[in-house]
Amino acid sequence: MKNKWEDSLSTLSVGQQFAQKVKEDARKDKIRRYAPLILLIIMTVIGAISQKNFFSWGNVVNIMYQMSIPLVISTGLMYVLLLGSIDLSIEGVMGFAGSFVAFLVVNNSNDNDFGILGIFLVVLISTAVGALTGFLHVRARIATFIVSYAMGCIMTGAAVLVYRGTPIQAKDELFNVLSQGMFLGIPYLTLIAFAIFIIGALILNYTAFGRAVYAIGDNETAAASTGINIGLTKIKVFALCGCTAGLAGILQCIRLKLGQASLGTNQMFPVVTAIVIGGGSLSGGKGGALSAFVGVLIYTELVNWLTLMGVDPYVRKVIQGVIIIIAVTLTISRSRKTISK
Amino acid sequence: MANANNKKSFHLSDFSKYMCLISIVLVFGVFSVIIPNFMTPYSLQNMMTEAAPLLLMAGGMSFIIYTGGIDLGAGAMVSCTCVLSGVYVAQFGNAIIPIMLIAGLVMGLVNGLLVTKLKLPSFIVTLCTMNFWSYIALYLCPNGSEIIPMDKRFMVQWATQKVLGIPVMFLIALVGVAVLYIFQQYTVYGKAIFGVGANVSATRLAGVNTDMAQIAAFVISGACSALAGALYAYKLKSAVPTVGDALTLTAIASVALGGTSMAGGRGSVLRTALGVVTITGVTSGLNMMGVDPLWKDIIIGIILIIAVCLNTDTRGRDLIVK
Amino acid sequence: MGELLFEAKGVGKTYGANTVLHDIDMQIYGGEVIGLIGENGAGKSTLMKLISGVEKSSMGEMFFMGKPYSASSILDANHQGIGMVFQEQSLVGSLTIAQNIYLGREKKYSTCGFVNWNKMNQDAKKALERIEMDIDPSKKVRDIDFAARQMVEIAKVLDVVTEAANGHAIILLDEPTTVLSDEEIQKLFVQVRNMKEQGNAVIFISHRLDEVLEITDRIYVFKDGEETAVMQTEGADVNLLYEKMIGRSTTGEFYVEHKQTVPSDEVILEVNDLSLFGAFNHVSFELKRGEVLGLCGVEGSGKEDVCAVLVGDAAPTAGTIKMKGKECTFANPYQARKKGILSVPKERRDEGMIGILSIEDNIIVSHMDALSNHSFLSAKKTRKIAQDWVEKAGVKCFSINDRINQLSGGNAQKVIFARALESGCEVLILNHPTRGVDVGSKEEIYDLVRDMTAAGNSIILLGDTLDECIGLSSRIIVLRDGLVTGMFDCPVGDKPLQLDIVQKMM
Repeated sequence: MKNKWEDSLSTLSVGQQFAQKVKEDARKDKIRRYAPLILLIIMTVIGAISQKNFFSWGNVVNIMYQMSIPLVISTGLMYVLLLGSIDLSIEGVMGFAGSFVAFLVVNNSNDNDFGILGIFLVVLISTAVGALTGFLHVRARIATFIVSYAMGCIMTGAAVLVYRGTPIQAKDELFNVLSQGMFLGIPYLTLIAFAIFIIGALILNYTAFGRAVYAIGDNETAAASTGINIGLTKIKVFALCGCTAGLAGILQCIRLKLGQASLGTNQMFPVVTAIVIGGGSLSGGKGGALSAFVGVLIYTELVNWLTLMGVDPYVRKVIQGVIIIIAVTLTISRSRKTISK
Repeated sequence: MANANNKKSFHLSDFSKYMCLISIVLVFGVFSVIIPNFMTPYSLQNMMTEAAPLLLMAGGMSFIIYTGGIDLGAGAMVSCTCVLSGVYVAQFGNAIIPIMLIAGLVMGLVNGLLVTKLKLPSFIVTLCTMNFWSYIALYLCPNGSEIIPMDKRFMVQWATQKVLGIPVMFLIALVGVAVLYIFQQYTVYGKAIFGVGANVSATRLAGVNTDMAQIAAFVISGACSALAGALYAYKLKSAVPTVGDALTLTAIASVALGGTSMAGGRGSVLRTALGVVTITGVTSGLNMMGVDPLWKDIIIGIILIIAVCLNTDTRGRDLIVK
Repeated sequence: MGELLFEAKGVGKTYGANTVLHDIDMQIYGGEVIGLIGENGAGKSTLMKLISGVEKSSMGEMFFMGKPYSASSILDANHQGIGMVFQEQSLVGSLTIAQNIYLGREKKYSTCGFVNWNKMNQDAKKALERIEMDIDPSKKVRDIDFAARQMVEIAKVLDVVTEAANGHAIILLDEPTTVLSDEEIQKLFVQVRNMKEQGNAVIFISHRLDEVLEITDRIYVFKDGEETAVMQTEGADVNLLYEKMIGRSTTGEFYVEHKQTVPSDEVILEVNDLSLFGAFNHVSFELKRGEVLGLCGVEGSGKEDVCAVLVGDAAPTAGTIKMKGKECTFANPYQARKKGILSVPKERRDEGMIGILSIEDNIIVSHMDALSNHSFLSAKKTRKIAQDWVEKAGVKCFSINDRINQLSGGNAQKVIFARALESGCEVLILNHPTRGVDVGSKEEIYDLVRDMTAAGNSIILLGDTLDECIGLSSRIIVLRDGLVTGMFDCPVGDKPLQLDIVQKMM
């Protein structure tokens, strides 16, 4: 590092040196942006070598199926990470949404039969919980990791409270249709998940709200000076994240036909990992829908491969931890003076 | 205008200072009215045993929170050390306690180094390392909890005995809190840790080794969590790999209830201890009233949010919080 | 000359008891480029902040297009037709150029909430063409070079203000040329002239006087928060500007000159060929025991970065630092302090005061490892030390347990001085030690500085004003664009003239 610049100390003026430094940063940034794609290719090649029918339609559908839940979670989470915040309540909200939706539709423990109305109600509650998280963060100026952590614990508690011990089995006809039905060989669940993600991506890329999220994450002061309502945007983002977490919980419940708090367990962390691998940054302003998608895809292929290699699920979690530390280390923005807490 | 603001937040921070006292009086007052045998020696002894490991854990966690960080993996650390001590106490006897202490120091050191050297936010680091700790716990106890063999019980018996009616465990925890208080109040590290939380760039420019202070906070917290884990093993007389699951939340809530700001820079171990007592009072009280224990997490979560809201200094209007 | 666009009458700004800007009158006409010059702290950026809506004025009135003008925010000023291009860029790297230009104004391009990027890009193209910039507006800002970003920023501000006030907008350019090459500067000037031809007015702030003389029509000169001269650029020359910029010289008494020590021959700190890429190059000097070495230079001259390197806050690209003949490197301010270098930082509130800690803790924080006995501190001892310093430095407070952020600026600064003195460091870097401090406290601080040198400390001083720097220093080094351009001896009774130093600075 030191010697690279030393030669140009005498030849360039200080202003030119500064401009060159900016250029260099931009170049590094570019390399970093292509890294996920390269990683994806490597993972695909590894997949193709270790699995015979890797490119068969069946396997592609399988990978898409495995991607669905993480993709739904990432829809909201990518917004939150773009702000530079975090939402640790996702697992709790998922568990609650899954448990409560099982409670509301036809099930083995009560006489409820709200059907689609129940699903709407649960989505609404999840969105409200997200909005509350955002509101507390904005109004009381509490760091998001602490508000959302507390909120997540509350929601997990609420989830367990819904069924008090024995998880509820959902017996709704709608659930059966959704979990077993297929279109062109693709399960409805996968289609729904991809649809949710695409809607999220469209909002991010084609609305003023989506641009405001980028602006806040990148440079909050500058964003404020252009008249963006920072507080409201943040609350909206958390509401959106709550909404998608709720949807993910419902989809989980549809998939397993069982409503329990553990529907959410270990669901958020892999997605954070995936988004960061895809080029998102925990400090905000970087990444986007495409990079979230690439990240989730890389992650799914990786898990597939690890399972194929017969790696123990607990070890897999440890590996996950190592991966995220490496990925965050490479992507987080900081300088010599940055001090993390 | 500026003055009016100052005045208002002054009241608020004053309130947060006394919050732990107000809530402790409130909780114990209300419960002793509702539940006739809430304040009996037997129930108090129970509460002391209940509070002992939590006192240590929350006391250690306070230091990380003083720096403005957090340890979301503390509960997993407790589980891990509870399992380690439960499984190996038969082999090492009571030497397991100092061994656990060292293990805790190492675990804290790992967190501290990752946070300071790689400059990662603490919540993400501790969420990652949490996986390691729970992996160890579940690896050693794959089939749920494991009981300490009957013939080795005599080794761990002393911890649950009582001196002058007070459980030994609680005494240990009190000594722990005293040590932490001295560390916080009268050592260079304590001052540096508060400096990091209050204004890290100023403290750094004043020539304080801020990295070292942050690492120290994590190391202390690790040691305390490890000790808490060992106490759980002694208390439950078994290795329980899930014992710490709900403890992270309870510990953070106790710290917040003690009036410690999540942004760092101020607080006291003694007030955290009062926070622990309050929370133990709440959970025991609800328990004795026959409230479903499933409500526990919800209530503690709500307590945490309210306490944090009251502690937040809203004076720094232009500060960006993420 | 066009119509009168903007007028300021008796505008001023005070912070607490400090007046930083006093009784400014200014007229801006359409189709005019106004130059604004003055040394650091002369008040020109404060005036810009008032006009652009960053801050509110404390006195006087402003008129825009004949109507009373006040702006509550940057946005508000923009809507009225006044926009400022900030020195620190306010663009969002991950958005495209077009998205940046229309950030916060997407409404007119959206249907049902969805924005028509094509239409926006077309408009952005037009906005960029207005300043003759041929660049694809769908490119992301982080992918274009620094000069282009600056132009995009200008395009953005221009678009906002012309939307509000076509043909009579005012654009404020704050040091726009600092990081541009000569060629890029000429391009910028072409655009400035274009804006002017369209009837707009431009305010151009720069430290580079030749540029000011080249591009402006009229020049306002500021010093010490006051307007000292207004002149037509025609007929003005560099020497005339220098002369007008020099602030008043205060008597030696104010700077306690009778206590100025003659430095000993012992070299404490030796800096050799020190360079930081992009900030300063080839800086060398020696600092002797008991000496006050002043570093002079305008903002961006690299003097702040020299300090940052010396206190371990930045790693030099090349060169060596020797303390008492021994070469050393610092990875952080802690190591620098261990070697004997400590700073009184510039931003008191953010970098100096450890706000919510007590005065006592703030005083001992830089010395506590040495005060401790195996890391244990005696409360009695620290209390006594703090008490002594509070008395010695004349800090007005109820008790040493008060939080430092309850003190006034001057008193807080004295606490930080006490910290520096208590640290036992031999080299103290005073970075704008009297910024935002009232006159009374200033004198006490100068007295403290003299005491420091008398006690054998050596000081590197970055003065708040040139006058202060000359008054306090025994030697002065002048930096311009990251290079040392001059060195002056300042013994008592034979202080150099401000004019001589200013000539080396700009």
